[in-house]
Amino acid sequence: MMAGSNLENVLRSGTFAVTGELGPPKSGDMEAVRKKARILKGHVDAVNITDCQTAIVRMSSLTAGLIALSEGVEPVMQMTCRDRNRIGMQADILGASALGIKNLLCLTGDHQKFGNHPQAKGVFDMDSIQLLQMVKGMRDEKRFQCGEEIKKAEPKLFLGCAANPFADPFEFRPVRLAKKVDAGANFVQTQIIYNVEKFRKFMEMVCDLGLDERCFILAGVTPPKSLGMARYMKKFVPGLDVTDEVIQRLQDAKDQKEEGIDICVDVINQVRDIPGVAGVHVMAIEWEEAVPEIVKRAGLSDRPEPKGVEPILTSTSAIEEAVDKARNEARLELEGQLEKVKAEAQASRELLAKEKEKVASEISGLKKQIEEAKNIVSSKEAEIQRLTEELQRAKRALDEAHAEGAAPKPTYEAGESVAMVSSSKLTAREQQVLDSLNKGLTALKDVLGLSDAQFEAMRRFLEAEFMLQFGAAAGQVPEAEISPPPLEAVKEAPVQEAAPEEIPEEKPGRSKEVVNLVAQGNVALHAKDYKKAVEVFKKALEIAPEDEKAKEGLEEARQALQEEKEAADRAVKPKEVAGLPPCPDDIDPDEWKRKWVIRFTARGNVALMKGDYETAKKEFQKALELDPDYDKARDGLKRAEAKEDVYIPEVKPGEPVTVEAPAKEAPKKEEKVEAKEIPVEEAPEKKEAPEAKEEKAEAVSEKREAKPKAKVEISAPTGEGVGDLAVSPLPKDEPPLEERAKGIPEEVYKEPCTGVIQSVTIGDGEKAITVGGETALPFHAFEGEIPNLPKTAYEVLDAPPEEWPEVLLKHYSDVINDSAAWARKCVNEFGAEAICLSLESTDPNGANVSSADAAQVAKKVIEAVDVPIILWGCGNAEKDTETLREITSLVENRNVCIGPLTDANYRTLGATAMAFQYPVVASTPIDVNLAKQLNILLENLGVHLDHILMDPSIGAVGYGLEYTYSVMERIRLAALTQQDDKLSPPIICNIGREVWKAKETRLPTDAELGDQEKRGVLMEAITASTLLLAGGELAVLRHPKAINLTNALVQGML
Amino acid sequence: MIIAERKPMKELLSMVSGVKRLLIVGCRGCVAVCSAGGDKEVAILAAALRLGVKRAGGDIDIQQDTLIRQCDPEYIDPLNEKASGFDAVLSMACGVGVNFVADRCPGVNVLPALNTTFYGANLSSGEWKEMCAGCGACVLHLTGGLCPVARCAKSLSNGPCGGSQGGRCEINPDVACIWQQIYDKMSSMNRKEELRQIMPIRDWATAGHGGPRRRIREDLLP
Repeated sequence: MMAGSNLENVLRSGTFAVTGELGPPKSGDMEAVRKKARILKGHVDAVNITDCQTAIVRMSSLTAGLIALSEGVEPVMQMTCRDRNRIGMQADILGASALGIKNLLCLTGDHQKFGNHPQAKGVFDMDSIQLLQMVKGMRDEKRFQCGEEIKKAEPKLFLGCAANPFADPFEFRPVRLAKKVDAGANFVQTQIIYNVEKFRKFMEMVCDLGLDERCFILAGVTPPKSLGMARYMKKFVPGLDVTDEVIQRLQDAKDQKEEGIDICVDVINQVRDIPGVAGVHVMAIEWEEAVPEIVKRAGLSDRPEPKGVEPILTSTSAIEEAVDKARNEARLELEGQLEKVKAEAQASRELLAKEKEKVASEISGLKKQIEEAKNIVSSKEAEIQRLTEELQRAKRALDEAHAEGAAPKPTYEAGESVAMVSSSKLTAREQQVLDSLNKGLTALKDVLGLSDAQFEAMRRFLEAEFMLQFGAAAGQVPEAEISPPPLEAVKEAPVQEAAPEEIPEEKPGRSKEVVNLVAQGNVALHAKDYKKAVEVFKKALEIAPEDEKAKEGLEEARQALQEEKEAADRAVKPKEVAGLPPCPDDIDPDEWKRKWVIRFTARGNVALMKGDYETAKKEFQKALELDPDYDKARDGLKRAEAKEDVYIPEVKPGEPVTVEAPAKEAPKKEEKVEAKEIPVEEAPEKKEAPEAKEEKAEAVSEKREAKPKAKVEISAPTGEGVGDLAVSPLPKDEPPLEERAKGIPEEVYKEPCTGVIQSVTIGDGEKAITVGGETALPFHAFEGEIPNLPKTAYEVLDAPPEEWPEVLLKHYSDVINDSAAWARKCVNEFGAEAICLSLESTDPNGANVSSADAAQVAKKVIEAVDVPIILWGCGNAEKDTETLREITSLVENRNVCIGPLTDANYRTLGATAMAFQYPVVASTPIDVNLAKQLNILLENLGVHLDHILMDPSIGAVGYGLEYTYSVMERIRLAALTQQDDKLSPPIICNIGREVWKAKETRLPTDAELGDQEKRGVLMEAITASTLLLAGGELAVLRHPKAINLTNALVQGML
Repeated sequence: MIIAERKPMKELLSMVSGVKRLLIVGCRGCVAVCSAGGDKEVAILAAALRLGVKRAGGDIDIQQDTLIRQCDPEYIDPLNEKASGFDAVLSMACGVGVNFVADRCPGVNVLPALNTTFYGANLSSGEWKEMCAGCGACVLHLTGGLCPVARCAKSLSNGPCGGSQGGRCEINPDVACIWQQIYDKMSSMNRKEELRQIMPIRDWATAGHGGPRRRIREDLLP
């Protein structure tokens, strides 16, 4: 199932399908569409909705299709290429699919000239076949026409197309249908058929092409409504073949409409027997009512139950119905809720009334209680009044008594005068007063409902007051009676002997003075005059050592005094901590102390590191004095005692402890970073390091042998020099950058490029190599794509090399006379991925071998190996043109790369390369602009940038490598970050020839320069790795070990 | 060749109404070949305008000149001087010439005398036909040298539409169906099988839909 539409279901089930046609109105009248849809409903399996047929503006096919769908009629949405470009069409396709349309008929569309807007600009961004391709791509590959992915919900559409068997050229019509089926058509609806014989012929051709197996073909039929219509169609509708027989039948008919229907049914009956016809498409233009009759008469009225015809959006009337229904439901529900709420309201009203009553009765009850309470209060008040009066009376009586007692003295002064008096009569009177006072107090206690404690307190105060007024007199009563001690003594003398006599029943053993003193003490306590309180209580205790109250008071006072003292101590405590400088005001002393603990510890550590254990010990001890629990100091002390010197405490921010420690660590980290970032230069060294040591010794011993060395090496080419040619791969256990940089936002370390390097393919078949194609700077795989690793090529010479040092030559000594064997050796023995054949011997300034001879050599080489070949001329523009042309004429079927093309010969060689589609090497002196200029010239000539390898000319390490590096880097940056596509071809570096002509590769092994071969290999490998880092994609090298090293580096890093 | 035709006199008269001194400038390039704007046509138009203006009760001083081409700066630039004193310059070149005068002669009020119609060929004396649409992505090698972009009413890429009948295009019986012609041509060359290949959807960016077009040849740049 492509889309699961009803039409698709019917066709796939093998049922003879019937489709109808519905022309949307030239207005926004939805009802017109619904009406037509209702007529067709049930009589057809799907209905075509035309898309502004004959270029007349009508309601859009998408909209009318949706209206039909809302009526339960499956639409086949027609879409033409006339009115929308690919943007609008794809947008509508997405929308149609979203809203449940499942069939799409793809048409080019009638020309706008036929419609009512002949001045319109016809879009025709594509034709119907390309439209089918586009929609098929959207459906099956989930891609927009531009190639972008449709992330979600691709349009699921059953695709149809039209076919006109009656248009010309007739024999091309089935072919054109085949193109449509190839493009993605699942079903076909043909033009109106009256000429059944011609259609039969068409179908034969269609079946011969096997198209009936690949798509469902529906024959198009139309009932002619009248003779006039038939004539019009015959005359004016292009590509419509109305037979004379049809015209005749209509002419002869009594009822033309009836005859029209019969004609249509006859056509249906004829075409259904034609092999390959899967159904009919009945187009009753503006005569939809005829369809049920036609279908019935054709015996096709038994349509399968429609499947999957469900509108996603419903029509407005359906919406209205739904809204009405929802509204009614809502109303009913609301009414129900209203009733409920009303009942609840009633109930709560009743409840409220009840509550009110209840509350009212409660209030009246409370009022009563309040009244009662008031009564009680007033009665109590009255009683208090009475008692107060009684008390006053008693006081008055007392005063009177007093006055009587003080009578001898002319002036009355309370207290002192009383104190002067000593009279037993007064004492009796006093006793009486006290008694009545006590009685009154007890009564008061009852009345006021005081607790014992409260009562006691009250009584104590009254007593105190009483004593203060009369105590002295009372106290002196016994003195006066027994003996007259001096006044001071009397005051201090214990009074308990007298007191019990006086108030025996009240406080046995507690003299008034004690009570007085205790009271005074309490007052002082209360006033927080603890010293006085202590004194007073002490006094009281001197008098009555056992007095509990006094004891308690003293204790309390003492405690309070102690606390006060402590507080005062705290308050006045000096900030200085022993042995420390004064604490600044803004620092808490504790913190100050802590700082010093840390400082002492730090000093200790410093001393420890210097090896000054005594000082360290002292410092740690100081720290421990301040904070005996400080682990670091304790640790330090232990170390100092054990004389261990290195102690690097952990670094904590804010602590001055480890000032020196991070400085020690920092460089270590940096070293690590360097190692990671520049492994290129380090890697080969690393590999060589262990060998190098061994070699040195050998080299020294070899040095004495001088000349014979070379022979020895030739006889055992792999035994010495660089030893084994194999290079073990670089470890790749480094976690990916994303992991290492976890936590750092990507944009901090990523700088993605916007350009792309061209990919250039050299060679044929499986062995072909592709270089370039990256969207990131060299080896920056984390920033973009690097689809192709940088490659290496072995340089092979067309004649025995004359100037190669022995250490290099020895690896090829057996093949130098035969370039083909040489190339084979490189491939078979060393595993070369590519060969660069240097045609050095053709140089007119050198051996000047003829182009024809050189071409023969090249041909042999090319035939000897199947890896890609780069043919590198001698550098003389004219001779290279001649030689390379000669070679290409011999090997035109091999995709070789030719070079160098310079500004002197780019036209001739460029044209040759263009003709054979060879990639070329564009060589320029080290310069960005020259490189760009040559690329432009080649492009203008017609050589595409993806057939160019740039040779910027390079220098070996020590011979201008830096200059090469910066030029190549600039080329790469221009291509990748400034989208300078004229600099986007990959870069080829011919390195071997530059390195091995350097003096350093030729000087013999000696103690100072080390092993000659190793030296050369390293120079070559380092030059290669450096230039690959700068942006080289293809390196031409000579020494197998250097090549292996370079490859190992590339493999290890990417 | 660029084909053009003179605008209707009515339009031209209304264009120059109010102009007292008019310089008509012809072009000896394409428009001279297709008899729309060469020396002869300049003289005819000058006479016609004089008469027309006079008939409408106006008065106009018309001078004439014909340049070698109006699409190269060396011929255009002298206009800066020549046109001084004229209210307007009526260019009888194609649209390129009018634009170029407007670009290079800031003080000149340049008016177009022609409608530039198409790139075409001269079928016979007095008949020209569109042959190329300048779409910038030629497919003629696939269609027997006949252009469906310029010569099919719907610019179809994959064969004749259903309106092709008897070798005629549905839009007008006077127009040949180019796809019929392509089919015939390819058949005659035994290449009709190639038409079975689907031509993919076109990139119209090169046809000017990607913005004004421009070509640079760096090797020829001064």
